[in-house]
Amino acid sequence: MDWSLVLLRIALASYGLGFVASFFPGGRFAFRRLAPWLTGAGWVAHTVSLIALGIALGRCPLATLPEVLSTLAWSAVAVYLAAFWRWRLEVLHVLVLPLVLVVLFVSGRLPEDVIPVAEPLRPTLWRFHLTVIIFGVAALFITFAASVAYVLLDRALKSKSPRRFLPRLPSLEICDSVGQVSLLWAFPLMTLGIITGAILSASLNHTFWAWQPQETLAVLAWAILGVVVVARRGWGWRGRKVALLTIVAFGCVLLRMLGVY
Amino acid sequence: MPVVYGMNHASAPQTVRERVAFAEPDIPEAVARLRRIAGVEEALILSTCNRTELTVCMKREQASTTLAGFLARERPITEEELERHCYLYSDDQAVRHVFRTAASLDSMVVGEAQILGQVKRAYALAGRAGSLGSVLDALYRRAIMVARKVRNETGIGRNPVSIAYAAVGLARDIFGGFEDTTVLIVGAGKMARLAAQHLIGHGVRTVLVANRSFQRADELARDLGGRAVPFDRLFQEMERADIVIASTSAPHTVIQRDDAQRLSRARRGRPIFFVDIAMPRDVDPGVNEVDNVYLYDLDDLQRVVRANQDGRREEVVTAEAIIEREADVFLAWIRSLQVAPTIVDLRRRLHDIAAHELARFHGRLGTLTSAQEDAVRQMAESLVNKLLHPPTLALKQAAAVDGGELRVRLIREIFGLESSVTAPLPADDEDGADAPPQPPGTSGKERG
Repeated sequence: MDWSLVLLRIALASYGLGFVASFFPGGRFAFRRLAPWLTGAGWVAHTVSLIALGIALGRCPLATLPEVLSTLAWSAVAVYLAAFWRWRLEVLHVLVLPLVLVVLFVSGRLPEDVIPVAEPLRPTLWRFHLTVIIFGVAALFITFAASVAYVLLDRALKSKSPRRFLPRLPSLEICDSVGQVSLLWAFPLMTLGIITGAILSASLNHTFWAWQPQETLAVLAWAILGVVVVARRGWGWRGRKVALLTIVAFGCVLLRMLGVY
Repeated sequence: MPVVYGMNHASAPQTVRERVAFAEPDIPEAVARLRRIAGVEEALILSTCNRTELTVCMKREQASTTLAGFLARERPITEEELERHCYLYSDDQAVRHVFRTAASLDSMVVGEAQILGQVKRAYALAGRAGSLGSVLDALYRRAIMVARKVRNETGIGRNPVSIAYAAVGLARDIFGGFEDTTVLIVGAGKMARLAAQHLIGHGVRTVLVANRSFQRADELARDLGGRAVPFDRLFQEMERADIVIASTSAPHTVIQRDDAQRLSRARRGRPIFFVDIAMPRDVDPGVNEVDNVYLYDLDDLQRVVRANQDGRREEVVTAEAIIEREADVFLAWIRSLQVAPTIVDLRRRLHDIAAHELARFHGRLGTLTSAQEDAVRQMAESLVNKLLHPPTLALKQAAAVDGGELRVRLIREIFGLESSVTAPLPADDEDGADAPPQPPGTSGKERG
């Protein structure tokens, strides 16, 4: 029996249950309180699944696109759990878990092609590239979730019927600061990822810039994020426009990661 | 059984309620006086701006006159007025009423949070005055627990249902907390003062006041512990403020859309919240369309309040169901408390008869060895216990059913027990036959 697959399915089921639980009404003994625990249990199963896969394959499980996506989902849940314990934002369940589920489902349907590794001399750089990109994107998951929450709450407040639509959203200020903090983690990691990616590309194609769609998308997403960081840190921008820009940038990143372009 | 006598916002107008209300420092002595009245076994006084209620343990038949007499002596009000405005709940109804009151289902603003604190206070004061016994103590402890349960398990207290609370709730949606927010009050009227006091009560520390008359601004600012700013610097000050409360008496709008746009640019996207409580309005409605600027006028706030009230009505149904369940549990316990003395009396009566008959026949049996004597005594005991079993069971069942008092009375009559049926506390049983009943949630131990 393929233990890693069984554990991955257990993880998927726990994430799914955690997501469903977050929609239940609150209360002391409410099912909703289990949401973070279910997700945590799923994450443990996911961790063991990745280790089992690594042992079964005899290598680091980062060589195929499904493996990379599964690791991405794993790190996104890790970052999400950390962010949840830090800020206690229940809205994160509702926004991050579906993304994780989508990524995991897509990863299950992709062909198992091994990503060509440039040179046998560069595996360390390759793994570093993937690791920073994965954690960068995971942090960006939180940025995205906070930005979506900001835009939703902003719309609800403007439409003058805030509480009825979104009873559990945090305040605008909290969404904004969560977005800022997670972006300041995500952006340097993404920058490192882009630089190492360019070096890898150079060693593979003998050019830094091959005008491939996935490269273009990645750099576009990075550029938008750069603008957001400069707008936030340099010009002191905040609020709705920044949140919308972040959502666009995350869309590009997601397209790039899922390979749909 | 408990009895509740008093008036609330639904049964009496403000003018009557304020005459009947007790000041908090007077309550301990008043409740002690109430407890000392003949027939009153336990007492508690709950007095808020919306209700004054006496909860006592006494016979229902005497309750109305006794308690009306007490209130008429204590407060400047006549018994006729009390008769017109007061209600009396006893037994099941009283338990449900106390639970509903603590859970804020009987409040003017259903779901408001203050009443639970007031109930806790009344319970503490009565406890300090020594006027609580086992029934009221258990009743109020249970009521406080049920109220917490209702708050936790329903959304009854979640959404604010007054305009001031609605504005605070909206500001919280925007800013989270209020410690670092600055409030700018434009206009120095009564409404502005009330709104500002409300926000200060929720933690706002920095208050600025702008008014066409600087002197009035200064007075209000000093009252609120804030700072007055010149009216012509209004827009510069707005760049620093987070919440702007507008309530000038100007006949036209004071803050236009262009102003808000400039403001939004200057604030670089930091949100600003305008609360326009002026009539006619001070802020142009177009201001709400500007990015990161939120505007609510009185109509908008009223709409939020109405939406919240609709939401609460649905929660009330859930809350009532919780109260019904909890009241049943409590009533079952309190009934078991009532049959306990009868069970004790019955046991004592039959054991007394056995002891008496043993003594009487002792002479006729001649000399017995101690083993024989023990055997006879054991036989008598065993006989008594066997005879006791069915009526004890019937009494315990009587505790769980409505109309069980009749069965209790019948058993007392059949076995020739003395006439008093109810006693608030089970008497201590020397031979330890029956442990006193336990409050709901713990299981009673029994022997026999």
